[in-house]
Amino acid sequence: MNPTIEINERVDIVVVFRRYGDISSLCVPVRMRWGTRDIELIELALRHPTTQGKRMIHVFHVSDGSNNYRIEFDAEMLTWTLVSVIEVFDNFDDEVAA
Amino acid sequence: MSRPMMSLADIAAPVASTPVTGPAAHPTRADARTAPPSAAWPDWKTYRLNTESPQVMHIDLNSAFASAEQQAWPNLRGRPMGVTNRVSPQCCVIAASYEAKALGIKVGMRKSEAMEICPEFIILETDPSKYTFMYQNLMRIMKSYSPNFKMKSIDEGVIDFHDTRLVNNRSLADIGTEIKRRMKQDVGKWMRTNIGIGTNRFLAKTAAGLHKPDGLDVLDHTNLVDTYRGMDLQDLSGIADGYGTRLRMYGIRTPLDFLAAPDDLLRKQVFQSINGLHWHERLRGFEVDDYTTHISMVGRQWVVRAPSENDDYLRSCMHYLTETVGTKLRYRGVEARGICVWMGFSAGGGWRAKQMLKTTIYSDRDIWAQVALLFDKRPAHMKVQIIGIYLYQLTPSTRGQLSMLEDAVKLDDLTRATDGINDFYGSFTVHSADTLTGTKHVKQKIPFGGTEYFDLLLKRA
Repeated sequence: MNPTIEINERVDIVVVFRRYGDISSLCVPVRMRWGTRDIELIELALRHPTTQGKRMIHVFHVSDGSNNYRIEFDAEMLTWTLVSVIEVFDNFDDEVAA
Repeated sequence: MSRPMMSLADIAAPVASTPVTGPAAHPTRADARTAPPSAAWPDWKTYRLNTESPQVMHIDLNSAFASAEQQAWPNLRGRPMGVTNRVSPQCCVIAASYEAKALGIKVGMRKSEAMEICPEFIILETDPSKYTFMYQNLMRIMKSYSPNFKMKSIDEGVIDFHDTRLVNNRSLADIGTEIKRRMKQDVGKWMRTNIGIGTNRFLAKTAAGLHKPDGLDVLDHTNLVDTYRGMDLQDLSGIADGYGTRLRMYGIRTPLDFLAAPDDLLRKQVFQSINGLHWHERLRGFEVDDYTTHISMVGRQWVVRAPSENDDYLRSCMHYLTETVGTKLRYRGVEARGICVWMGFSAGGGWRAKQMLKTTIYSDRDIWAQVALLFDKRPAHMKVQIIGIYLYQLTPSTRGQLSMLEDAVKLDDLTRATDGINDFYGSFTVHSADTLTGTKHVKQKIPFGGTEYFDLLLKRA
């Protein structure tokens, strides 16, 4: 079972840029508007860079406490994209059984 | 041909009456091969172990890919999960989380088998950029302690502290603890690191495997024999079924038997090569594995998404593989004379064709011209399950030299320009039209084992 749900939609993101800290905590997305949903992001699980050619993409894996999201910031186009979601697993066992 | 069988008792019986005179000198490599053992001596003297202070550290990320995914996706933490290159019913688990391993799910197992063990088993597709990030962090941390470090694969590396003790004057156990903390801080709290410290690379790796996950162990002459006593022969890194069977043929059934075996037996009979002597010294903590390896071939294989006999489809995928192999070849700055195309069929069996050329090849166009000739010789009407290509007989590239042939110069310039564009804008920005189908189907693979292509991988990721 692959629980990843592909989304690939542009989203609005509120980000906090901190003055101090290690690289993993200097830039932290804290809120996301996905369609009509406002989602408070409470955990930055992993941030890592990747590239498309020479274009820098920052990948943020964040969580609202139940669902996990992969969002990507395109440093050239200055866009945020919600790439995929893994939903909370409370219902997952039922889905597997079904 | 039958080999003469000798029991260890005949060969390596300790000489209990050997007198000990004067202060105990630390054994050298020569002592380890010549001095008679004594049952009255401490273990390290009986077996002539290396008594040097341990200066080699092996660092191993635990279930690296699975841990990276669990770090990224908090909902997966604590759950049996794994990763595969491409999710399909028959795909293989290429990394499993500790929770999955505890249930008996092993690396290499098919997804269907894993799901039989645990219906809730979660499997994700690999994400090379994530693992590259993890790899780069591990490498950066290791580099901060010594320039004498080597990545052994994507998730493990070795630091040799022999020449840096003046600057790294803390205990290696302290440094190991700090490395574990830095990995958690720089990558994430779910990243667990196993650290082993020993007098050589083998013992450091052995120590790193003693307490998974998140262990830190030191192996030296004081605890080595006790550690071997608690291990099976095939727990030793480098001893799998083949060597295991060979050793057992000579009565060597445990690591302690192996340690007690004289170098003559290992060299002349068991291994019948210098390997026997290397094992004799390796087991005692003397360094024999600090060498540089050289690349002998460059290749790529791909498991066909849906086994097929369709010529256009297979040709395009093979052409795509050829261009990725060409990129690797030029990345390594070498040219090839030998070329091999191979495939496996879904009905079983396989086919391969090799060709040794008179001159070296270097550009995608030249490589594909040769590959296509071989590819056309394959058996017709067979459903192909896996295809591959490798280039061998590699020599350093001489393309920097001027050629008298104008066409050759133009082709080299075109190849360099194409590589430059692909380097800048992303791989396969410019490619043969023939590879269009292949670019849609062939997925990037995680390079296990070597780390030679990681910079290249990073660009492609």
